[in-house]
Amino acid sequence: MKNTFIAKNPSVLWFMLGLSLFTVIVSICSEAAGTALISTSFLKTLGKTLCLCLVAVAMDVAWGYCGILSLGHFAFFGIGGYAIGMWLMYDRTKNIVVSSLESNILPATPEEITDAIGSQIFGVVGSSDFPLIWAFSHSLTLQLLAVVLVPGLLALVFGWFAFRSRVAGVYLSILTQAMTLALSLYLFQNDTGLRGNNGLSGLQNIPGLEAVSQATLSLWFFWASALALAAGYLLFAWMTSGKFGSVIRAIRDNEARVRFLGYHVESYKLFIFTVTAMVAGVAGALYYPQAGIINPAEIAPIASIYLAVWVAIGGRGRLYGAVIGAAVVSLMSSWFTGGSAPDINLGVYVVKWTDWWLVLLGLTFVAVTLFFPKGIGGLFDLLPRKGERT
Amino acid sequence: MRSALIVLMLMICSAPAAIAQTLQPILQTHAAEISKPSRRSVGETLDAITRSSLPQATAFLEQWSEKNIWQRDDGVFFLGVADGNTLALTDIDTQATSSAPKANYKQLKPNGGVRRLIGTALVQFQLIDPDLPRRETAVASIARRPEAAQLAPLLASIAAETDPALKVRKTQLANFLSARFADEPADRIAAINSLATDTSVESRAVLNQILLVKPGVARTQPDGNIAAIHDPMDAPDAYYTALINEDLAPAKQTTADMKRTLKSNIVDGRIAGFALAQMNDLETRKAAYAALATDGLVPVLITEDLRDASLNNHVFYDLYDEPNAEITAAAHRVLGTVTSRVATAQVADLTLDALSLASIFFLAAIGLAITFGVMGVINMAHGEFIMMGAYTGYVVQLFVPNYTVSLIIALPLAFAVTFGAGVVMERLVIRRLYHRPLETLLATFGISIALQQIAKNIFGTQARPLTSPDWLAGAWVFNDVIQISYIRIAIFVLALMFLGLIIYILKRTRLGLEVRAVTQNPGMASSMGIDPDRINMMTFGLGSGIAGIAGVAIGLYAKVTSEMGSDYIVQSFMTVVVGGVGNVWGTLAGAAMIGFGQKGIEWLNPSNTLAAQTYMIFFVILFIQFRPKGIVAQKGRAAGD
Amino acid sequence: MSTLLEVSGISVSFDGFKAINNLSIKIAEPELRAIIGPNGAGKTTFMDIVTGKTRPDEGYVIWGEKSVSLLGMSESQIAQAGIGRKFQKPTVFEAQTVRENITMALKNPRRPLDLLFNKAAADTEDRVRAISDDIGLTDALDQVSGALSHGQKQWLEIGMLLAQDPRLLLVDEPAAGMSAVEREQTTDILVRAAQTRAVVVVEHDMDFIQRLNCKVTVLHQGAVLAEGSLDHVTKNQDVIDVYLGR
Repeated sequence: MKNTFIAKNPSVLWFMLGLSLFTVIVSICSEAAGTALISTSFLKTLGKTLCLCLVAVAMDVAWGYCGILSLGHFAFFGIGGYAIGMWLMYDRTKNIVVSSLESNILPATPEEITDAIGSQIFGVVGSSDFPLIWAFSHSLTLQLLAVVLVPGLLALVFGWFAFRSRVAGVYLSILTQAMTLALSLYLFQNDTGLRGNNGLSGLQNIPGLEAVSQATLSLWFFWASALALAAGYLLFAWMTSGKFGSVIRAIRDNEARVRFLGYHVESYKLFIFTVTAMVAGVAGALYYPQAGIINPAEIAPIASIYLAVWVAIGGRGRLYGAVIGAAVVSLMSSWFTGGSAPDINLGVYVVKWTDWWLVLLGLTFVAVTLFFPKGIGGLFDLLPRKGERT
Repeated sequence: MRSALIVLMLMICSAPAAIAQTLQPILQTHAAEISKPSRRSVGETLDAITRSSLPQATAFLEQWSEKNIWQRDDGVFFLGVADGNTLALTDIDTQATSSAPKANYKQLKPNGGVRRLIGTALVQFQLIDPDLPRRETAVASIARRPEAAQLAPLLASIAAETDPALKVRKTQLANFLSARFADEPADRIAAINSLATDTSVESRAVLNQILLVKPGVARTQPDGNIAAIHDPMDAPDAYYTALINEDLAPAKQTTADMKRTLKSNIVDGRIAGFALAQMNDLETRKAAYAALATDGLVPVLITEDLRDASLNNHVFYDLYDEPNAEITAAAHRVLGTVTSRVATAQVADLTLDALSLASIFFLAAIGLAITFGVMGVINMAHGEFIMMGAYTGYVVQLFVPNYTVSLIIALPLAFAVTFGAGVVMERLVIRRLYHRPLETLLATFGISIALQQIAKNIFGTQARPLTSPDWLAGAWVFNDVIQISYIRIAIFVLALMFLGLIIYILKRTRLGLEVRAVTQNPGMASSMGIDPDRINMMTFGLGSGIAGIAGVAIGLYAKVTSEMGSDYIVQSFMTVVVGGVGNVWGTLAGAAMIGFGQKGIEWLNPSNTLAAQTYMIFFVILFIQFRPKGIVAQKGRAAGD
Repeated sequence: MSTLLEVSGISVSFDGFKAINNLSIKIAEPELRAIIGPNGAGKTTFMDIVTGKTRPDEGYVIWGEKSVSLLGMSESQIAQAGIGRKFQKPTVFEAQTVRENITMALKNPRRPLDLLFNKAAADTEDRVRAISDDIGLTDALDQVSGALSHGQKQWLEIGMLLAQDPRLLLVDEPAAGMSAVEREQTTDILVRAAQTRAVVVVEHDMDFIQRLNCKVTVLHQGAVLAEGSLDHVTKNQDVIDVYLGR
């Protein structure tokens, strides 16, 4: 079975080889390996990029394969980040609080510890009580479950409502965008218990691993991200290759016709929407510990739109296209907006890339949509294929 | 020079003839009291001055109060301003000016109590001043600091008042004063009852003044006009604090107090026999504390039982400042009536607010109603067209400083600019993507990102002002509760005009007919000689141009930033979708629903507009589940697919 | 011959226009039935109602031995109950191969998890081949169906219908845009299919109907105008009026 799957999808094999090679090279070049050819901060950028590739692959399955142009997948990504961030922040603050209370003459009561953690975390929003939403933040297991279950549940409920009433196409896009907007507005409020626009911070410090250096920790997270990307890629490659893939592509091309073939289109869409949302949550949970901070601005609708941009530029409807798009565009974005790109002096006007990169990106996107609907991935079609008849 | 002198002579001669009295003699009669006034006895003097009804009396009282009256050695009073060692003097009656060395004069310095009495006397005096602004000032000063003594002169001045508006105001004010200060309870109750129809903040303040209470606690219920008796068990800790403040009970130890006490009682590494390591539990701490208390080392721990016992031994009450129960009852009853009237007015005000919010949504969405609703083209850069319109208004104001003129220029110019932008976009991008809505959505996203960044590069990130002309500033105040700014009224009117215009264009003009023909069946339309490309271009331009005008209007009341478009785009699409695609009336209904809904939620949770937006979006998402085709749904086979 | 589908007294209107007006039709199993009628007679709307795309304002649609009402069932439920439909315009999934198209249509469990986790039935390949032989596309199995000719797409779609193994086939203008040879083959496929199941064909082309040699129902203004053999209905004065104009 495995053989036939790989044989049918040679690109999966190539992708896995490429990803492994990349991981090995980056590991060798990292500070933790002693060579320090790659700085820890760049290693983190690479690790984060792998997470972005994973969410892009999920987005591609929803949009490129099943035709659901969701403008909410970055929201699911953010929810994953928040879910793990709550545990990271709680447990780290708890360790700090406990060690600072140790010097007290009277050992602290559990109530005192909880109060101290509360005022540490929620002091910025003028509160010290734990909101209900933090009820499970003490448990890594439960928060890890939340990383997958909360985005999944939200996608399930939202999708059930939307697909049931046959909201499709641009209407669905607008509705998911509205959902994303509502979610980010919700998180922006101070009294919703997730620290308003301060977001969650200090996430790069992993409780219990204080002794491990950031260089090593970053490498571990890089591996975890690579592993997650590989697993997600395999999962989606498997899902989209067989008869199931055939059906969801058919739904993308002509939903009504699939219905008359006797398939319950809504369950398929709901399934895809939910599974991809869960994977997005996992990607977010790996991304934000590397970023160190998450705030509601990350979830704003524009982020999900950029996600669509990456997938479109990389080439939708093929998984490696999404990976290429996310990697190329997000790395280029951070290069151009980071100020390291050289300015272009036109004599009368100096083009600063920090100012003009987004203009270029926007126009590139228009051009890709108009003239290269297959994106960068479309270039691979030009390669001659071995063993193909006709 | 000579003629001028004659005129002056004539004036001086005729002036005493007209007035026929001077103030100085009256002052001299009471000279002793004036030079050394006391709060108890100055009243008579003030009465005398007041009774004279002389115009200069007012000035004298004012200056006296301001400590600008000087007395010469011989007892004559002057108005004087010190300048080094000399005094610039003005005669109290003739206003003749002179100067003299300061040494011969003594400054009158009435104390605060006297000055207040002078003020009161002055007010009575000013109430009947022939000069209208002075009377108005007097009335305003009474309104600011109402006092019992002002009631009589105010009542007396009403009959002679010539200005109708001021007369009404005086009557109202007299009512407020009677309600609080009239001698007869019956008069007060009558005045209170007459406030039942007055929803002003002032009137409610008067009633609340009458209903002022002092919270108190005692062993037994005291006599007096009791407003309420409280059950201490509603908030035991707060009431216990009241007991502590009144020294009726010992302080209750907080957990922090207990911890402090425990810490200071550590003996040989143990507290009352308990090991320190055991102190990580609240119950153990309590036990240790109790042990210490048994030994008499610390005060007894106030447990909840002890607290409740003391609470139950006391009566917690609110006592009215006003001793007369009938009056407080009347005020209470009237306040109830007023409150319900205010609530009604608030609903009206809320309706106005919602209406104006709805018109903003409508204005922002109406362009979309054409491009998305009628043509079926999804334009995510619509918000950026709104932004372009707003920036056009800002740029025009840089060149044309007159705000009214610049507004008149900006409106058509904004239309022209965004019309042009829309046409260019239609020709270059959208035309190639007809019937591929998802691709259109993406391409226009790209344009939206680029336009936003370009605006940021040109105008910077900070908000730019788009100032409205003076005649649009201010608000139309209906009463203290209901008011609406003119700018919002203007936006409402603009929205109505657009509604009319669009309906007219779509239903009554050749263009509208051709638009409908092209959207329903392009092939058929083109075979009848209509050029679909031209029509699509014009329609798209029209929708974009309207977005530009909306941008100017929105910019007048909100900030102009490069990101303002994205604030409106989601709302606008929801407005169109909720209302029902393809129908301008639907957009109106959608805007009304979202505007009213959002204001309604805001009313339930006033401090939080973010929450209102959040819940409104959730509501819209749910609403679309149950009416996927919107409020005004199109029927028939053409709809939907 | 037992009644498979009974449509009785259905009416539906769009914006006041009565597309179907008190229409009643019975289809038996097996049976081959042709439905003809001028444009706007309600042929397509009739199919829309039976397949669940449109809900009638009144009337009943009863299905099978157990007399189940089809109203209130979703399109996919109706399809699973055994009604297959071929659209006027050939709608095959052009980005996918002929094999994938047919495999998708094969009668198998259709829930998402079934597709992901159930092993493909051992006889899948045989069934696909049987169908492709039937419609003459065995050589094109691995071709992308977008590359097929118009007629081949029509057959592929009929093949997909057969793969569903429905008890009732609704076929909308199967011969449109076909050459004479292709029409003949199409007739053969339909006649063969009708030996074991009910087939309802909507067609304009009288020659094609003639070749089907079956019972004909004439629709006009959303109601049945005449029913019987082709010879019978073409002699009917009402039908002549409608087709030739009064």
